[in-house]
Amino acid sequence: MRLAFFMGCVGVMFSATAERVASGLVVFYDFGSAQGAVVRDRSDVKPAIDLKIAAPQNVQRTKGSLKIHKGTVIRSTQPPARLIGAVKRSGEITIEAWLQPANVSQDGPARIVTLSKDTSERNFTLGQEKNLFDARLRTSRSSNNGIPSTATPARSLAARLTHIVFTRDRAGRTTIFLDGKRRANQTIAGNFANWNNDYTLALGNELSNERPWLGTFHLVAIYDRSLSAAEVTQNFKAGPQGKVDRAALAKAENIELFETKIAPLLAKHCLECHDPATRKGKLDLTQKVTAFADGETIVPGKSSASLIWEVVSENEMPKKRTSLSTAEKAALKQWIDGGAQWSLARIDPAVYVHGEPSHANWIRRLTVAEYIATVRASTGVNIAAEARQLLPPDVRADGFSNTAYNLNVGLKHINAYTQLAGIIAKQMDAQKFAARFSRSRNVTDKVMRPLVEAMGKWLLRGPLNDREIVVYRGITTTVVANGGGFDEAVRLVIEAMLQSPRFIYRIENQQTEGPVGGYELASRLSYLVWGAPPDAALYAAAEKGELANAAKLEEHVQRMLKDSRAVDRSVQFVSEWLNLNHLANLRPDKTRFPNWTPALAVDMRAETIAFFKEVVWKQNRPLGDLLNAQVTFLTPALARHYQMPKIKSGNGPTRYDLAGIPARGGLLTHGSVLTVGGDGASMVTRGLFVMHDLLRGVVNDPPPCVDTTPVPTKLGLTQRAIAAQRIANKQCGGCHSKFEPLAFGLEKYDGLGAFFEKDPHGNPLREDGQILFPGAAQSIAYKTSAELMNQLAASNRVRLSITWKLAQFAVGRPLGARDARTIDKIHLAAQKQGGTYHALITAIAMSDLTRTTQTEHSK
Amino acid sequence: MKTKINRRQMLKGLGTVGIGLPLIEEMIAGNALGAAKMAVPVRAFNVFFGLGIPAPLQAEGFADVFEPLQSLSKKLLIMRNVDHVRCDVRGINAHFDGATGSFTAQPAGGEAKAGGPSIDQVVRHAHHPKGLPAGMVPALVGGTFFRRSRVGRYHHSYNLDGTVAARMQEKPRDLFDRVFGTFANANDADARAQRLKRSVLDSVVDQYRFYTGPNSPLGAASKSRVKDHLDRIREFEQRAFAMKHQKGSPALPPRSRVPHGGPADPGGEGIDITLEELTTEWRLLADLYALAIEMDRARFGAITFLAAGERIRLTGDYKFNGRSRYTFDDSKMHRRGGSAGCSHEWWHKFSEKKKNEQLRAHAHLKMNELAYLLKRLDSTKESNGRSILENSMITISTESGDGRHNDVKRELSGIFHAITGANGRFKTGQIMDVKAEGIDVYNTMLGAMGAKTRLGPAKRRGKSIDGIRV
Repeated sequence: MRLAFFMGCVGVMFSATAERVASGLVVFYDFGSAQGAVVRDRSDVKPAIDLKIAAPQNVQRTKGSLKIHKGTVIRSTQPPARLIGAVKRSGEITIEAWLQPANVSQDGPARIVTLSKDTSERNFTLGQEKNLFDARLRTSRSSNNGIPSTATPARSLAARLTHIVFTRDRAGRTTIFLDGKRRANQTIAGNFANWNNDYTLALGNELSNERPWLGTFHLVAIYDRSLSAAEVTQNFKAGPQGKVDRAALAKAENIELFETKIAPLLAKHCLECHDPATRKGKLDLTQKVTAFADGETIVPGKSSASLIWEVVSENEMPKKRTSLSTAEKAALKQWIDGGAQWSLARIDPAVYVHGEPSHANWIRRLTVAEYIATVRASTGVNIAAEARQLLPPDVRADGFSNTAYNLNVGLKHINAYTQLAGIIAKQMDAQKFAARFSRSRNVTDKVMRPLVEAMGKWLLRGPLNDREIVVYRGITTTVVANGGGFDEAVRLVIEAMLQSPRFIYRIENQQTEGPVGGYELASRLSYLVWGAPPDAALYAAAEKGELANAAKLEEHVQRMLKDSRAVDRSVQFVSEWLNLNHLANLRPDKTRFPNWTPALAVDMRAETIAFFKEVVWKQNRPLGDLLNAQVTFLTPALARHYQMPKIKSGNGPTRYDLAGIPARGGLLTHGSVLTVGGDGASMVTRGLFVMHDLLRGVVNDPPPCVDTTPVPTKLGLTQRAIAAQRIANKQCGGCHSKFEPLAFGLEKYDGLGAFFEKDPHGNPLREDGQILFPGAAQSIAYKTSAELMNQLAASNRVRLSITWKLAQFAVGRPLGARDARTIDKIHLAAQKQGGTYHALITAIAMSDLTRTTQTEHSK
Repeated sequence: MKTKINRRQMLKGLGTVGIGLPLIEEMIAGNALGAAKMAVPVRAFNVFFGLGIPAPLQAEGFADVFEPLQSLSKKLLIMRNVDHVRCDVRGINAHFDGATGSFTAQPAGGEAKAGGPSIDQVVRHAHHPKGLPAGMVPALVGGTFFRRSRVGRYHHSYNLDGTVAARMQEKPRDLFDRVFGTFANANDADARAQRLKRSVLDSVVDQYRFYTGPNSPLGAASKSRVKDHLDRIREFEQRAFAMKHQKGSPALPPRSRVPHGGPADPGGEGIDITLEELTTEWRLLADLYALAIEMDRARFGAITFLAAGERIRLTGDYKFNGRSRYTFDDSKMHRRGGSAGCSHEWWHKFSEKKKNEQLRAHAHLKMNELAYLLKRLDSTKESNGRSILENSMITISTESGDGRHNDVKRELSGIFHAITGANGRFKTGQIMDVKAEGIDVYNTMLGAMGAKTRLGPAKRRGKSIDGIRV
C-alpha cells in the first residue's frame, strides 16, 4: 500500500526489490527504526556515524521514515572524520536523499543535509530554497560558504516524494538529478583540501538552528565518489526502501581478497611446486582453469570440501617449508567460503615476490642528474661539475637510484643546495633573465609582483599562489630596504626559488585521487621522457588544459621523443637497469687477470651505451632486439680483450658488425653484463641475473641442510659439470634447474667477458642448454649461445620484464600487485606499436601511471 | 654535578691522530647543549658487526671469541638464543634480511628500507617527539664497511616508516663534519649580506613549513620527508648563523686510507686490506662517534663495523693483550682470489666438527674492535656516577647466527645480542639464554625505556622477556 502511494506520487516505476549501488557508500540512513532519539548509520562502514535528534518531540518516526514537523536538528555527536577524510581523499562526492518537503515556501536555504558549522561556514549543504533545490560545496576555489552553489530550476521542487541526488566529480562537474533526471549542471573547480575537519553532519537544520527544514526523510546516503547517471537511475529505481546489493558487494570483496591476499599467498607458498613446469601432484595453481579442473582442490563456497584447505589447515602443505600463518589460513578459508572468485588470467609470482609495496606516496626529490638538467633548462647554467662535487650521490635501492623512498636528504644536501643556488644565481645573467618576464626594472610592487609570479611559474614548474608571491616579495622588499636594486632583488629571489621545495622536489597534489592536473602532468611527462623540466610548449599546453586531451598529450610525447634529452634519459635508464656504474669499481684478481686495466671497464660501459643508442634510437628496433642485435661498438683494446679481429683506433668505440661472429651479439655478450658473475664467472649469479633481470623469475631460498659453498673447477670438472651436479641433486634441482641452464650459454665467457673454448684447466667448454620461461610448462633447448640470445629476444616474457623495469624507473618506486593490471595494459599497447622504446615510453605516458594520482588511501 | 669533561682525556682515545675540536670549549662553557645538564640523557645506539658469531661458539662464554668483552662483562648482558626467523625474506640469504632485521625485528621493506623502525629511533621518538634540542644531530649513523650492494647490509637506524634515519657517514672526516662542522657562511659576511642571506633562508624555511602543515597537498610519507628536509635546514641555519666558529680550528681528521663508496666494493669481489688499515680507520671513526656522544651532540643512531656479508681479504698480525693471536692472510689460506678468497668464506665453511680457527680469529678481532668503542664510552663518568656506556641503551648485534646459507631457521636463530644497562634498566653482568624472538626482546627493551610503540604487527600478541629487566 505504501509502495503504491510512492508510485502514485512520483509517477515512475521503481522496485522495492531492486538493489542500490554499494560501492563508495560512506553513510546510509534508512530511518529503519520507528522510535528513539538516534538515527542509525546503516552503511556497515566503521565507525558508524549515527545522528542524534535534538528534540525528539518535534519528529514523528515510522519504520522507514522520519517526519520533522517542528524545527529541530538531527546531528552527529562529533565531526564525522571518516566521511570528511574519504571525500577529501577522493575529491568526489554524492549526496542522495529520498524526501518529501512539507511546503514550497521554506528557504534559507532550509538545510536538508549539511556538513557545516553555522550559517556562513560549511563543507557542503543540500537545501531547499522555496521551490528549488540548492547545493553548496566548499572547494579551494569556492567560498567558505560553498558559493557559487548549484541550483535546480525554479519550480523544480514540489511538496511530494522526491529522489534528489547531487554529484560532484574530480573534474569539478556538479550535477543535480531529480527522480533520476539531470536537472542542473555546474562546474565548481578546485579540490577539497580546504575542507574543515571540525564540522558536524546534520539533517533538517543548520548547526546554529537557524535554517530549519520541515518535511519527511525516507533515505539519506552519501558516497565518496560521483555516481554515474546510470547508477543514479539504479538507485532511483530501487526506491526509497532500496537496499544495498549485498551479493554484489560480497563478490567484489571476495575478488579483492583474492587479488590482495590469496594470489600472493599461493605465489609465496604453493607455486614453487604447483606451477606449469613442476606440476607436483599434477596440480597447477597458476590459472583458474587448472586450479579448479579436478573439482576437488578448490570447491567454491565449501572450504570443508576443498582439498587445498584440508592439507593447508593440517600443515601437510607446503611440504618442507614454513606452514601458513594463522592469518593466511583464515584468509584462505574466507576466500573459499566466500565463493573462491578468481579474477586473474594467471598468477605471476614475480608480482608478489617482494610483498605488496607500501601505499606510502613518497615525494620525488630530483636526482643529481635531474637537478643538473633542471638547472640547465630553467636557468641556462651548466652546474654539472659543481653539483656532482657538492651533492651526495644518490644511493641505489631496489635496482634504481631514483627510488623515491630512498631519496632522502642530509645536512650536506642543504649546504649543497644553498651553495649551488648562489653559484647559479651568480652565473646567470639576472638582468637578461628578468627581461624575459618584465620590461620594467622598477622595484615597485606593480612591477615586482608580476615579475615574481612569472619567474616563479617558470622556475617552479607551475603558477604561484598569493602566499608564495608574498614570501618572495618579502625578499625583494628586504633588498630594497637594505639599499639594493633590481638586479640584486632578482638574484636573491632566484636563489630562494632554487632552494624551495617546488624546485628540489616534484611537488604534486597527493590528497586527491584521480586525473593529474595540467602542470603536474606536464612535469610528469617531461621528467619521464627527458629527466628535465617542461619546456615552454608543455607549459602552454598545461595552461590551456590541452594535456587532458589524449591526442594532444600523445602529440607532445612524440615531439619530446625527438629531443636529444630523451636519448640522455634513456641512457640513464639502461645504465641503472644494468648497473653499469659497477664497472668503474671492478678490481679483478691480478693473478688471474694480469692484463686488466680500468680503461677496459670504461670501454665496456661505452660499448653498451653505444649499442643501446644504435638499437633503440638509430634503428628504432624493438627492445627485445637488445638481446641479439648483431652489432656492437668496440675500442681496439676491448676488441683485443674479447679476442676479436683487430680494429683501427678511432675516437671512442667503433661500430662493429657481428654478422660473422656468432659468439657475440646482444647485451648478454657484453663485458659490462658478463662481469656480474664476478671473477669466477659464477653460473649461479649469471643465471640468477638472467632470471631476475630479464625474465622476472622467482626462486626460493635453498632448502635446509645443503652446503652452498661454491665448488671450484678442476681438471675434468667445469662450471657446467658442477651446475649439472646441483641440478641432479634432489634438494637443489627444483630451483637450480630453472635458472642455471640460463647461464649455460655463457660458459665460454670468462669473468671479464673474454671468450674461450677451454677453461684454465684445459676442460672444453659448452654453450648448449635449455631455457624455461617463467609460467611455461616446458623448457626450450638451445644449441649455441646465439640461439639462447634469439630465444630471449623473441620472448614476450623478456619484453614484459623490460616494460616492468622501465615503468619502475618512470615512477620511481618498486611496482607490485596494485600496478600489475596497468603494466599489462602498457605492455600490450607498446607491443602493438612495435615494442620499441618510443612505443613503451608513449604507452607509459598515456597510462594511468602517468595520468592519474593515487593517494595513500587508494585501493 | 657532572664531571667536567677533560679535553686531554677526550683526546686520549684518539691515539696518534690529532683532531681539532672547534666547539668543545664553547659547548662546555656555554652550556648550550645537554652535555652540561644535570640529568643523564636517554640514549640509544645500535652497534652492528658483520657476519655474526655462529651460535655454537657463543656457548663457549668468554673462553675464546668473547674474550675481548670479558673486561666489560659486568656492564653487558649477552643474550644467546635470540632468533629473527620472522625476518626471513624469500629468496635472499640472511646477510641482507638478517641485517635489516637487526634492531628492527621485521622483514625488510625494500633494499634500502626496513620493515619498521629500529629500536634507537623508537626510543628517540618516545623521548623527543618534537625533536632534539637545537644543535644536536638527530640520528648519527656511521660505519666502517666495504660491501654495499644493498643499503640494508650496513645501515642500522631506521625511521618509524622504515626509511633510513639519516645519511651514512662512512669517512671519519664526514662524520666529523656532520657532528662538529660549521659552515663558512653568513658569519663571515658583513651585516647587510647576513640580513639578505637570512631573508632568503627565511623564505625557504617558510616554503618547507607550508608543505608540512595542515594545508599541504602532500600525503603523510611525503610530508615526513619534507619535514626531515626542514629539520636539516634548521640545523644548517644553526650551524651557519648561530654557532661561533673558533679560530685555528677545526683541524680535520686525516684522510681515510681505505676506499669508500663504489671503489670499496669492486664488483662484489671484495678488497685487500691490512689489519692496520682496517683498525686505524675504524678506531678513528669510533673515537669520533664516542666523542659525539660524550659531547652530547648525539643521543641516537647506529654504527657499523663491517657490513653484513662483508668481503675483505685481510692480512696482518693480530695481537691481543700483547700476545700474538693470529696472522691473517685470507686469500692465501683459501688459495683463491676474488670473492672466494675473502674472510666471508670462513663463515660458509663453519662446522661444529672443525676447529674453525680462521673464523674464530676474525670473530675475536671483531669483538676486540667493538670493545674498543665500548671502552671509550665507559671511560667517561656522568653525574650519577655511572659511565656513558652504563647509562645508555647500546645494543650490539649482527645478521646471522650461522654463516651457512642452508637453513633459514638456523641462519636466523641464535643471533648474537649484547646490551648495556641503560641506566639500571637491564640485568648486566651475565650471559643469558633467553630463548626468545628478537621482536619480543626488543619490545621488552622498548618498554623498559618508556616507549609505547611496539615493533611488529599491531595484532601480534607479544611476550615480555622479563628476565632481562631489572
